[in-house]
Amino acid sequence: MNAPETHFLYPSTLFVSRKHVVVSTVLGSCVAVCLHDPVNGVGGINHYMLPLWNGQGLPTPKFGNIAIMKLAEKVYAMGGSKAYLVAKVFGGGNVIENKCEGLLVGNRNADIACELLAEMGIRIVAKSLGGTRGRKIEFDTLTGEVRQRII
Amino acid sequence: MKHLTDEEIIDVLKARMKENKLALEEMKILTDELKSVNRKLEESEALKSHFISNITNEIVNPFSSILGLSANILSVEKENWKKVHSMVAMIYSEAFMLDFQLKNIFAAAKLEAGEVYPEIVKVDVQSLLSTVISSFRIEARRKKITMELKFEAEKDSSKTFYFKTDPEKLRLILSNLLHNAVSFSYEGGLITIRVWLEDGRLYISVRDRGTGLSESNQNIIFDRFRRVESGINSTNRGHGLGLSINKAMLDILKGNIRVQSESGRGTIFTFDLPEGEADAPAIATDSNEMFFDDQQIF
Repeated sequence: MNAPETHFLYPSTLFVSRKHVVVSTVLGSCVAVCLHDPVNGVGGINHYMLPLWNGQGLPTPKFGNIAIMKLAEKVYAMGGSKAYLVAKVFGGGNVIENKCEGLLVGNRNADIACELLAEMGIRIVAKSLGGTRGRKIEFDTLTGEVRQRII
Repeated sequence: MKHLTDEEIIDVLKARMKENKLALEEMKILTDELKSVNRKLEESEALKSHFISNITNEIVNPFSSILGLSANILSVEKENWKKVHSMVAMIYSEAFMLDFQLKNIFAAAKLEAGEVYPEIVKVDVQSLLSTVISSFRIEARRKKITMELKFEAEKDSSKTFYFKTDPEKLRLILSNLLHNAVSFSYEGGLITIRVWLEDGRLYISVRDRGTGLSESNQNIIFDRFRRVESGINSTNRGHGLGLSINKAMLDILKGNIRVQSESGRGTIFTFDLPEGEADAPAIATDSNEMFFDDQQIF
């Protein structure tokens, strides 16, 4: 088998492919949702920084609610089927010490992923969320496997 | 179990009431926040549905001008060929605006789809700036506006100043600021573009002496589809995407943008960006490091 292509996923972007690609990204308080349909061979991943779009600026995948909806839409558009789709969720570490009063952005990012995926009926089969450290992950779009290192 | 005196029970109850009150207050703050976000989203939705009618001016008008002018050129008699030159200049200017507006619309679509990455190369900032400025020269000349470039990034003028950044994004950001500056300037106005370095970051400011922005308008200009009534240029209303695109583009380049303005006295937009990394990020797949130590597989 040929070596897979590689792709570095920048914050606020998403990536979906039917080819064999290893997507890497680095997460602090950001969260990445990986969607994988092993039957139809579609894999996709996003990387968002804040939980919700508040109506300011453009509704980009910088925001969890937008990023998760857009990722699912794109996975479906590429032939993914809800029946086989599984999710893996990473990140949401509280790496910056209590910057804002009250709720921590890492926690809120993680919560929104779990809530939205449950609402959409997509099963979360693996997750690594929270903590106080960053993560580096590599997502294999063909196998759906995610390798994680705590950094 | 220990019996509590009446006073102790009252104290406990008081403490609980206080807690409840705090919780209620917190809830009220959150509800208010939710309300204002809801209002924003509703407004944004409404503006979005007006988008097509808003961009009519931006797309349909240039097209009709181009068609009309080309038809005129075709019917020009041979002896009047000098007229053709000015008509071609107008066609160019209309086509340029059309191209600029379409670039913005596609940029917004790509940003919203999460398909915009920084593409960092070594950029000759001064020549990029000059190109962008001269591309607005025709628009500026029409309103007798002067544009001046104050390039203060490099002391040693014999060397070309290079900065590692994304030239296409920088070009669009600058074009949007210049377009606004020209649109909101009075006839015969002056636009100053200043460039400087501070703590390794590149700063660029665009200043006009035009209509300016009230404080309340300064808060909404970065929202999409928002257009500010200027009264100065009612034929060119814009689509309200430029600044929201600039903000999102600068997010990607880890930059900032801010506005200083006073009604009637002009506006200064200043943005800054860090120098980018020319190669793919150092953190990109380095398969060796993944082989040993503490990796987990999901």
